[in-house]
Amino acid sequence: MSVPSAAQRALPLPEAFSPWRSLLRGARLVALLTLLAVAWAATQTGVFRGDLINAGGWALVQQFFAAALRPELSPTFLRLTLESTLVTFAYAVCGLALSLVIGLAGGVLSSEVWWLVHQRPFVARPGSPWLIARGALALPRAIHEVLWGLFLVRILGLDPLVAILALGIPFGAITAKVFSEILDETPRDALRALLNSGAPPGHALLYGLLPRALPNLLSYTFYRLECAIRSATVLGVIGAGGLGYQVLLSLQSLRYGEMWTLIAALVLLSGITDWLSARVRQVLGAPARLEVNLAPGCEAQAAQLTRATPSSRGLLALLGLAVLVVPLALVYLQPDFGRLVSPRTQALLGQMLAEMFPPDLSGDQIARLLQLSLQTLAMSIVAMAIAGLFGLALAHPAARRERGPRWPYWLTRGGLLVLRAVPAPVWALLFLFVMFPGPLPGALALAVHNLGILGRLIAEAVENVDQRPTRALQHAGAPPLHAFFYSTLPMTIPQSLAYIFYRWEICARETVIVGFVGAGGLGRLLTEQLSSFDYPGLSATLIALFGLTFVVDMLSTAARRPLR
Amino acid sequence: MPEPVFELKGVTVRYGAFAALSKVSLRIEAGERVALIGPSGAGKSTLLSLLNGSLAPTEGEVRLLGQDPTRLSTRALRRLQRQIGTVYQQFHLVPNLSVIHNVNAGHLGRWSLLQAVVSLIVPLERSRAARALAEVGIADKLYARTDTLSGGQQQRVAIARVLVQDPVAILADEPISSVDPERSREIMTLLRELCDRFDKTLVVSLHAIEYAYSHCERMIGLRAGQVVFDLPAAQVSPQMVEALYRIRDVDV
Repeated sequence: MSVPSAAQRALPLPEAFSPWRSLLRGARLVALLTLLAVAWAATQTGVFRGDLINAGGWALVQQFFAAALRPELSPTFLRLTLESTLVTFAYAVCGLALSLVIGLAGGVLSSEVWWLVHQRPFVARPGSPWLIARGALALPRAIHEVLWGLFLVRILGLDPLVAILALGIPFGAITAKVFSEILDETPRDALRALLNSGAPPGHALLYGLLPRALPNLLSYTFYRLECAIRSATVLGVIGAGGLGYQVLLSLQSLRYGEMWTLIAALVLLSGITDWLSARVRQVLGAPARLEVNLAPGCEAQAAQLTRATPSSRGLLALLGLAVLVVPLALVYLQPDFGRLVSPRTQALLGQMLAEMFPPDLSGDQIARLLQLSLQTLAMSIVAMAIAGLFGLALAHPAARRERGPRWPYWLTRGGLLVLRAVPAPVWALLFLFVMFPGPLPGALALAVHNLGILGRLIAEAVENVDQRPTRALQHAGAPPLHAFFYSTLPMTIPQSLAYIFYRWEICARETVIVGFVGAGGLGRLLTEQLSSFDYPGLSATLIALFGLTFVVDMLSTAARRPLR
Repeated sequence: MPEPVFELKGVTVRYGAFAALSKVSLRIEAGERVALIGPSGAGKSTLLSLLNGSLAPTEGEVRLLGQDPTRLSTRALRRLQRQIGTVYQQFHLVPNLSVIHNVNAGHLGRWSLLQAVVSLIVPLERSRAARALAEVGIADKLYARTDTLSGGQQQRVAIARVLVQDPVAILADEPISSVDPERSREIMTLLRELCDRFDKTLVVSLHAIEYAYSHCERMIGLRAGQVVFDLPAAQVSPQMVEALYRIRDVDV
């Protein structure tokens, strides 16, 4: 079309585009700093060193993959596999049940809205009880399940109770935080209307807020079930029994055929749980597994896109089922609750706490902790860089589409499921076949496991994105790939990056569990200190670990802010 | 007689058992400004989807610029769709991209993939985009993030995207239902002026009848999937409009 030149001259044109000036602002600054951090971390973990590969290990790798063709299928071993699967599942269910109790109580008490409705006027900021509740939940959250397990086993002895508590306590604290966020993000107009018409605070919450928050609360609960299965497996690796333990035994005794059978069971268990959780969330009309970083506007939009009334009959059947499973799992595991209050437990706890104080904060120790903290940080950054990059690439074929062939979806989804079903310490041991010990195999193990989780999270973000801009471009004659670059990709990038940064927080905590199998960092030091009963050193390492997770959480939050 | 821009012959569109359009026949010639009016669910959006080639009729024949979209290859259909631009009620822009990229998305039908990707990093055809934005009256918003703009401004960005696409015909699906009354007049006037100046055919579905009278020369009244009247705007009486919207025997 020809444009009249008069209009052209009359109107002021905006300032010229300058790629460099805008580079140091907001999201671009985050991108630049992230690149620098990844480069630093890669150097730290020795990615650029020459002597990474232990060529002698390839024979083992060949044996391992050859064994996939002849998994152990003898009746006795299949029976053992079934029993281990039930143990892992029972741990997950009991741990989740405990975490829900903690999560509901903690979530209500640490929500802003609970304290706001109990004080007048309604619009003021909540006071100190709120802050205390928030603070009390930060500590259990910062300690990984495996660490809880290692502590509790010293105090309570070997008992299924250890695994249930190790899972339930940190999960409870995390659930409490998310529940409080859900309660606080639920629109308050109905609640306000009830309060203004004189309803008591409790009644008003029950009628004005809880019904609206319920689908999201339930949806998150089922997402936690998926996490609980993975954590129960990892707890198995450190000795709680179940699938994780059997995988480790088979791996260490080089019986790879058995390992493949167990991995198949793990994938099946994970797959069924993930599918069930997805179905439930679909029924509840809240398809996103977890919603980090939604801008206020997006939230309303997402709610609009996914609005559906819960089908009450399916829901009732489901809750009935859940209520049944918990006592069954308890009967199956037979935890000895008496141990919680036994004099022996109290004595051991007292002794341990006494020995942990004061922490060993000598100059040498601090220098060592600092160095190992940096190594751990580098490990988590390398892991997330790899997981994030591949996750972004794999998420698009892994997103369910209305049109086109279905095999890329099934292939990538299946692959991601296997990656996340195998616990990170087992990945670390597999990498150690062909790599020299050090932080890099640990980082790779975390990368592979987190890729399985991240890839699917991003794929679901892609599935849930508003399709209309893409269709508008295609209806104006844009080829599919062009339309993808101009709508789907830019619309999903902020949410995807937010997921990556969010997983980084979890990954920083998980460095402990690969450290446990010798992959370096603070985790390895912790293991050494635990086995040599060096409690003053242990508490110093814990302080370093807190500091590290705190720094990572801060950085992640700061990095996610401009992505909104 | 020259080839019409759009032509429908006995077109029926069914979604399951529900007939969204039944036995619709019409011709729209080059340069016409046509308003589609009628209550919600009358079939206005379905008709516009037929006209931009994104929907195939269940029965009957659709010809867009003389071609039957159902007989075209994917590639040829895209070439045809490039000649027809659509403006939507909800804009359908990418909220977190800069305005310039949303405007440049109008080029996608003719750009290579490499050009498209490179332009996301260093925008191409900046002066063209700036001119299009100047045409719609928001020249200063070229590098603004799209979701920082008001609803009326976003609709202008969507119109600038269509200008860059440079189609033969512009379709507008309730383009003013998401903006306030003052902006509505401006957007409608803008659409009319642009179509006059660049010689485009305009088909616009409207709820606000006064703009159908003031900005279009022909009105097609739809009700329950059928054409009730198809007349020059001057011949449409208030009684006819009232009958079109009357609640009685409308399926709600």
